[in-house]
Amino acid sequence: MKFHGYARPDGTVGIRNKLLIIAVDECCEGIARNIAKKFEDAVVLTNWYTCMLGGNEETFNQMIAVGKNPNVAGALVIAMGCGSILPQQVADEVAKTGKPVDTLVCQEVGGTRKSISVGIEKMNAIKAYADGLEKEEFPLSRIVVGVKCGGSDTSSGIASNPSVGEAVDKLVGMGAIAIGGELFELQGCQHVLNQRASSPEVAQKINKLIDNERIRWSVEGTDVETMSIGNSVGGLTTIEEKSMGALHKTGSCEIVDILQINKDFIDIPKEPGFYLSEVTMLCGGAGVNFASLGAHVILWTSGAAGFNNSIVPVIRVSGNKDLINDDIDVDATGIMDGIESVDEVSDKIIAKIAEVANGSHTQLEGIGDSTLTLYQKDQRLEQVLKLNCVR
Amino acid sequence: MNRFVIMDEKDMVATALVDCKKGEMADVHDNKNVHLLSVLALEDIRYGNKIALNDIAKGERVIKYGAVIGECTHGIKKGELVHVHNVKSLTVDIPPAFKAEIMRQMNIKAREEE
Repeated sequence: MKFHGYARPDGTVGIRNKLLIIAVDECCEGIARNIAKKFEDAVVLTNWYTCMLGGNEETFNQMIAVGKNPNVAGALVIAMGCGSILPQQVADEVAKTGKPVDTLVCQEVGGTRKSISVGIEKMNAIKAYADGLEKEEFPLSRIVVGVKCGGSDTSSGIASNPSVGEAVDKLVGMGAIAIGGELFELQGCQHVLNQRASSPEVAQKINKLIDNERIRWSVEGTDVETMSIGNSVGGLTTIEEKSMGALHKTGSCEIVDILQINKDFIDIPKEPGFYLSEVTMLCGGAGVNFASLGAHVILWTSGAAGFNNSIVPVIRVSGNKDLINDDIDVDATGIMDGIESVDEVSDKIIAKIAEVANGSHTQLEGIGDSTLTLYQKDQRLEQVLKLNCVR
Repeated sequence: MNRFVIMDEKDMVATALVDCKKGEMADVHDNKNVHLLSVLALEDIRYGNKIALNDIAKGERVIKYGAVIGECTHGIKKGELVHVHNVKSLTVDIPPAFKAEIMRQMNIKAREEE
């Protein structure tokens, strides 16, 4: 299978030509949004934590990594000018891909209105570069796919997750890369994951990172919602049951490695295969996490909420009849009725990925974009709990 | 027909794909859609919920997807609903207040202490 995409100077392939505006502090977001209004393909990624670098290194790393995502054609990095994150620090790293990157410090330009007009000029140059790119043909094996679930219900475990899992196995068989995450929701599945790990070291790493996530979210004196009440009223009894159902969407291939996202580094998958990762179970943040890892599309089994990520298009797969409307990209309800097989639905999913890679919009692309949430682990809490990454 | 499915041959519970009423038969299929057996439902089993395929003793591990999904906290009879009132997690259990709310919404009565 083939698709037409954009060859990037660093050797990656993009399926979209997004013009990214990175607001390195929350104060300049209004300026960023006003610049973005003038460009159909502009996307704003805002660091809404604080303008300080200390404690926000994971967010800082993600801003760079999102800039490097192959669906991004070029980037403008903006700062108000009084914070401690300099746009140049982000821009220099993104520029290593060879893509056009520019910066704007609002206080240096002098005034909000002037910053907007200077920003629009800078973006025009990036747009001219993006518009000049011609699409080329690539095999579908060049695609990096994220898999995620949200609003899990009974049909997720029986229809959408197994069919996405089968699609993942087929994609990996073609030589593509697929990435799962949501480690908190894999508690109780370690024995299965360890059997799939490519080496005892990878198995240990998986166990350690799942354990970190358990400790991080189970601080005494605070409640943790492993499952929503809605999950349970829908029939899910324990986190293990939810986890095993969720695990199905990762297929059955070997787990090459587990990709870490932290204050010191972000792992990018290089070799084909299936990877686990530290992509959060929190939906908006997961979209940006996947963008940081270089994903082109996300397969999203659902479940309730319907939304898209403006950089990494979301393909929604559902087996719940009550949810089938024009938000859903792949209908898996035939599995529930016993009239369609998991294998057949997995073929529909792969065909949909090829279409979307070729430029077709997903059902929600451009109309139902979620916030590009820069989720990060709280560095102070990590320190208190003595949680470390695996080196 | 009341369609139920199991996901693995080792499963001790089947999932309802319809609303099954007390006194009706639950028709259990495997994930290739082959009819395996039928079990008399001893209570209402709503869509998405699980029915016990055999008696399950207190303390026994409950299997679904071929894996342990929790521990039985109150003896379950073949044909009864398997849910938060008689199975608990072995890793992170649902907080009691949440369980009470789930049972209230589903009209499940708490089991007497054994």
